[in-house]
Amino acid sequence: MRNELWRQPLEELAPAIRDGKISPVALTEACLARIEQVDGKLDSFIHVSRNALDAARHAEREVKAGTWRGPLHGIPVGVKDNYLTQDMPTTAGSDAPGLSFALRDSVAVSRLRAAGAVLIGKTRTHEFAWGNVTPPVCNPWDLSRVPSGSSGGSGAAVAAGLCVAALGSDTGGSIRMPAAACGTVGLKATFGRVSRDGIVPHSWSLDHAGPLTRTVADSALMMQVLAGYDAADPACQAQPVPDYRQALDRSVKGMTIGVCRNHFFDNLQEDVGEAVEKAIADLAGVGARIVDLNIPLLEYGLGAIFAIELSSSTAYHDASLRAGRVPHFQPDVRTLVEMGRLVTGPDYLKAEQYRTALMQAYRKVFESVDVIIGPTTPITAWKRGEWTVQVGGQPESVLAASWRFTYPYNLTGLPAISVPCGFDRDGLPIGVQIAGRPFDEGGVLRVAHAYERDHDWKERWPDI
Amino acid sequence: MKNPDPWNDILDLGLPPERLADVLAAYRDILVEIGKLRMLDLTDVHPAIVFEPTAPYRNKP
Repeated sequence: MRNELWRQPLEELAPAIRDGKISPVALTEACLARIEQVDGKLDSFIHVSRNALDAARHAEREVKAGTWRGPLHGIPVGVKDNYLTQDMPTTAGSDAPGLSFALRDSVAVSRLRAAGAVLIGKTRTHEFAWGNVTPPVCNPWDLSRVPSGSSGGSGAAVAAGLCVAALGSDTGGSIRMPAAACGTVGLKATFGRVSRDGIVPHSWSLDHAGPLTRTVADSALMMQVLAGYDAADPACQAQPVPDYRQALDRSVKGMTIGVCRNHFFDNLQEDVGEAVEKAIADLAGVGARIVDLNIPLLEYGLGAIFAIELSSSTAYHDASLRAGRVPHFQPDVRTLVEMGRLVTGPDYLKAEQYRTALMQAYRKVFESVDVIIGPTTPITAWKRGEWTVQVGGQPESVLAASWRFTYPYNLTGLPAISVPCGFDRDGLPIGVQIAGRPFDEGGVLRVAHAYERDHDWKERWPDI
Repeated sequence: MKNPDPWNDILDLGLPPERLADVLAAYRDILVEIGKLRMLDLTDVHPAIVFEPTAPYRNKP
């Protein structure tokens, strides 16, 4: 009988491992065999750990001895290649000469290790987490298409069952976009909720950490381990971490769900719009009150995030610019890094003023709604090598289209999750995005879980 | 002393003219968006980034 343990979600694996019904070694072997079997097509891992089976054996011994560390004990987890790891090399997706990264664990990785997770390998990132394509990774639902990015390796690996969960990072949508494109759940926690110490910086005030998983419950279990104060991350806040599993047991009856009708519903692929409207109607059907709203300031967001992201990235890469390494970056990333010098100081600070205004606008909205729902992306996964797509009958660059609905939550730092909500006419996954108040990851998980449990999207697997 | 050259001295990228032209062309669409942002009157709004002089005294591991 084939070992298909890789098909099981974390929420089912965890109690089975705890009770000795599933072996962490057998589970890790299943994932490694799956990597061997299909990653030649996907290219989602840049490095597979030589220590994974040893870690699984260690976990198995501990569980047998009665020391169960919690739901991640013995669970194979992929790590995006911009998180530092002490036993695996980090490249941040770059092969530019003269760059090296420390062999030490980032705080998120050390939390996973302490929880007993088996770190199975490093998943590919778009170079320095800058892009939305993640070459050479392929989308498991259609190998001719991109997995989106920049956590495209994590999205593809989780979607294809190469690991049970994976870490991602999100500066403008880089967890949620590949989650939507690959049909997984992706949670960008509140800015300050998960430490970014040991994650190669992209843009200090926009970078967020979080998990990609197969289910919402799995996302809650990962967040339970990742969340918490860390003094090494200057942005991290000492906020209490609730029991996220408890949030999942509550219905959405009586909750008020806002639908921001400007910006988030502009120029959508028809199938995306229909799937998201159906998801909203389904939540109304189980007792949520739906309220339409508008946030006019969103019209100015693209200039703001570009000003902050470009100038921050260029500042981070300043030494590489001076050392002549940047011409060795991938052409798209090279251009973006060189371009950052064009953003003026006043433009940068205007963008930071805008963020305050936008956060205040969201605060006002959250006085009358509990969460805000909308599409994660206006488009589904596009063809590799395609730089322009037709959206709403208009040509639009994939760079502009892909992150239109995700970056507002990087500017505001609010928690946001992408959950599968259907497939388009080409069989490609569609994601719905739910965002909440600062540090209310529980609220977004609650609504996401209420939607997920009434649908069978998570039961579908790509045919690879 | 000659006035600084905006591209070579202020940007200080050391790019050949053709490459500089490519970067400027790629920036054109972004500048349109930043131009919209410049039109907002945010005189009374404090930037989101706040200077925090106690940061070096936080307990680091």
